[in-house]
Amino acid sequence: MTWLLAIAVMIGSTPASAELLIRITEGADAAIPVAVVPFSESGAMPSGDKVSSIVRDDLTMTGEFRPLPAEKMLSLPAKGEEVYFRDWRMLGQRYVLVGQLTRRGDKVEARYELFDVNREERIMGATASSSVNNTRSLAHHISDRVYEAITGVPGAFSTKLAYVTLERAGGEPLYRLQVSDVDGKRARVRLESDEPILSPAWSPDAKKLAYVSFETGKPAIYIHELSTGNRTRVADYRGLNSAPSWSDDGRSLLVTLSKDGNAEIYKLDIESRSLKRLTNHWSIDTEPTWDHTGDGFYFTSDRSGGPQIYHKASEGAEPRRITFGSRYNARPRPDNDGKYVYYVHQRDKSFHIARTNLKTEEETILTRTESDESPSVAPNGRMLIYATKQGGNSVLTVIAADGGAAYSLPASKGDVREPAWSPIVR
Amino acid sequence: MRGHERDLISTGQPPWKSPVALSILMHGLVLGVALAGWSWSVPRDEPQPPSISARLVTQNQPEPSPVTEPVDQPDRDEEQRQEEQEKQRRIEAERQKAEEEERARQEARRIQQEKEREQERQRQEEEAQRKREQQRKAEEEAARQKAEAEAKERERQKAEEEKRRQEEAARKAAEEKRRAEEQRRKEEAERKAREERERLEAERKRKERERRLQEQQLEALAAEAQQQREAEERERREAAAAKAREAQMLSESQKYQALIRERLSQAWYPPSSATEEMTARLQITLLPTGELASVTLVSSSGNTAFDNSALGAVKSLSRYPIPDDRDTFESYFRQFTIEFNPRRLR
Amino acid sequence: MKMTAQHKALALIFSLGLIAGCSSTGDPVEDGAYGAVDQDGGSTVYGGDEEGGVSSSEMTEEQRRAAEARAERAEADAMREITTFYFDFDTAEIKSEAREVLVAHARYLQANPGQNVRIEGHADERGTKEYNLALGERRANAIERFLIVNGASRGQMETISYGEEKPAVMGSNDSAWAQNRRVELVFQ
Repeated sequence: MTWLLAIAVMIGSTPASAELLIRITEGADAAIPVAVVPFSESGAMPSGDKVSSIVRDDLTMTGEFRPLPAEKMLSLPAKGEEVYFRDWRMLGQRYVLVGQLTRRGDKVEARYELFDVNREERIMGATASSSVNNTRSLAHHISDRVYEAITGVPGAFSTKLAYVTLERAGGEPLYRLQVSDVDGKRARVRLESDEPILSPAWSPDAKKLAYVSFETGKPAIYIHELSTGNRTRVADYRGLNSAPSWSDDGRSLLVTLSKDGNAEIYKLDIESRSLKRLTNHWSIDTEPTWDHTGDGFYFTSDRSGGPQIYHKASEGAEPRRITFGSRYNARPRPDNDGKYVYYVHQRDKSFHIARTNLKTEEETILTRTESDESPSVAPNGRMLIYATKQGGNSVLTVIAADGGAAYSLPASKGDVREPAWSPIVR
Repeated sequence: MRGHERDLISTGQPPWKSPVALSILMHGLVLGVALAGWSWSVPRDEPQPPSISARLVTQNQPEPSPVTEPVDQPDRDEEQRQEEQEKQRRIEAERQKAEEEERARQEARRIQQEKEREQERQRQEEEAQRKREQQRKAEEEAARQKAEAEAKERERQKAEEEKRRQEEAARKAAEEKRRAEEQRRKEEAERKAREERERLEAERKRKERERRLQEQQLEALAAEAQQQREAEERERREAAAAKAREAQMLSESQKYQALIRERLSQAWYPPSSATEEMTARLQITLLPTGELASVTLVSSSGNTAFDNSALGAVKSLSRYPIPDDRDTFESYFRQFTIEFNPRRLR
Repeated sequence: MKMTAQHKALALIFSLGLIAGCSSTGDPVEDGAYGAVDQDGGSTVYGGDEEGGVSSSEMTEEQRRAAEARAERAEADAMREITTFYFDFDTAEIKSEAREVLVAHARYLQANPGQNVRIEGHADERGTKEYNLALGERRANAIERFLIVNGASRGQMETISYGEEKPAVMGSNDSAWAQNRRVELVFQ
């Protein structure tokens, strides 16, 4: 409507009375060209990936940036004075990141600067350091700062992923709960079991994981403190104990139990272990997750026949159905600002990740792969990780939250499944 | 329409009462009102068409005729005169009647006297001589009486005459007074009539003057309107020419607007934090070569990354596509505004 | 996908053949646990049972009756060899051809109160893991209810759902999915 008005104004304007107005309503349908110049190094650096390479890969992973390969650069400036904007402009670059790494004892210090090529301005300049064997964290930190400076949204590169791997070597399945960087690097096994491990969920402080383990022969919910490895079994009722999801204050979990005969959603107080039942229906109610307000929650229910996403605005509210696009929509994951809810969506014979705009109720299918599962939204809402099938194995793929470019995390043996993106901890 | 006809038939109204007639009347009224309203609502600067000027002149109405001219006055005078004569006749008749009565009375008295004289004579016969004296005396007496009566009569007649004369005088005086009064009234009326005539004349003259003035004004207005029309026509012609030129420029301008829009769309990378509610306005100034001379953020989106993305996009074009025609460039592309507002984010 | 009576008879004969001691006759055995897989019917038959065959000698009336009883028992026993029951996608509805077998299991459990059974529910890999856990449980519960209705007691039974975690057959195709949507009875 306003757009039409603008056109009318444009057409109706005469040169004398009104100045020409050109309205740009669409941007480039492409990633932002950015040059991450290899950082200069002084002193002995740890072997392995270079800091600037990690930064480059981080930016690539978002799908929002298109880093220029180093071999195409006309020069390799390390500091602001060496940056010739004309050169970078000629190369079509919008931003240039330069930096210097200096070894200081057992630390590595990075001085880095980000330039806007067209505005010929330095957007940011900072120093950061890390221990010699933690330069990945240093790189992810720089990525976060660069991402925020350009986009206005905090980066999520310093966050972690939890996921489960499954190997069936020699017929015996081996489940491993692992935690890695968002690029899949520095993965560490936190739990290993012959029996299934499912549904890892991060505590709000990113220090604990809740998950389901069948290690006793039946499913139970555990809370696992990552720094100490201490584990607590918090739900071990008859029947199902599944789908834990943390409250914002970290004091309770939403869980699915069938102790009363049927899969229902309960609020479990971690400290007292007291339970409050939140659903009561003959159908399956599961996969609960708090909404961004912390008052209501989303869940999957097949009360309408097949699984669909429902929302309860408060613990006692009537459930409202959110999804209608197909006969199978499950495992909701809302973003942090209440704009979208992401879920698994069946279309024909394929399972995709879709999202629904909660305001417009518009549904968008985000993935082109099939057999897609377990969506998890990055804490900044800009990326989404999910599991999909590749050559018979399950792999993790990161896409832009709007369905843009995909980035597959390095494959490992067997299945990689059920990714959970940690919160940003500042 | 059928319903109306049925109505007409069922009610049996006279045609002028029929809905059609009413409708026509109403339409007439509406049209009248509309026309009146229209002419009323014509903007001030709209030239008055001559027909309307003519209509305005119709204030030159027939002058009202003088009100009271005493055309029936002579009739009334005649009447009075006749009345007067009648009255005189009546008085005369009365007078004659009184004389006749008097005569009758004298006759009767005479007859009585003769009777008495007969008796006297009889007695005189009896008394003959004796009574001659008496008779002479009686005759003398009778003569005296007669003279007396006659004198009396004369006196009476004289008094009567006098009275009549006095009455006549009074009547004449009254008449004179009435005439004077009449004369005065007549003069007054004439004066009034004259004054009225003068007033009316003055009024008429005033109106005439006004009408002339108005006519002059209307003529002036009409002339002015004519001039205005001509001016407008001239302007219109000029505007049409300008418009044709402008259209040419506009189509040229639109072509380049589209080109600029396309180039900027390709060059603009809305940041992740962009929302459809964000709008940044930049005023840019170009050199005739198409190079960017300056850019100012005239209206911020409130989001630095968004504003910077817009500035970056504007500055990223090394040369803006602009028309060769210098006028078109000056009219549209020397300085213009670019608004960045994502309609639909991915 | 429907299992006809003939199929069942064949399966019985086949299993009796196995009982006769032909456990090594080259049936394709997967993972050393499961027997032949009928791709159409999707039935899985255990092999290697302990029970002996039938020896033939002259038969008295008693012997004949005993043989009949044995035969009936053998039939029921053979029926009880079937311990896996299949479901359609996203349902927990027991198929009609499974009912007779489940009745046999229920009678057996009724007759043997000391016998416990673990009812394991499974789903195929499609859909979400947590919903599939609940779906597997729903399937297990459906079987459990059927057994109780037909004579078994609740105390003999325990249900568990593995969701999609323990597929019977690997693979992402209709056949594999059909064989993985199942409930297994595990006698203990």
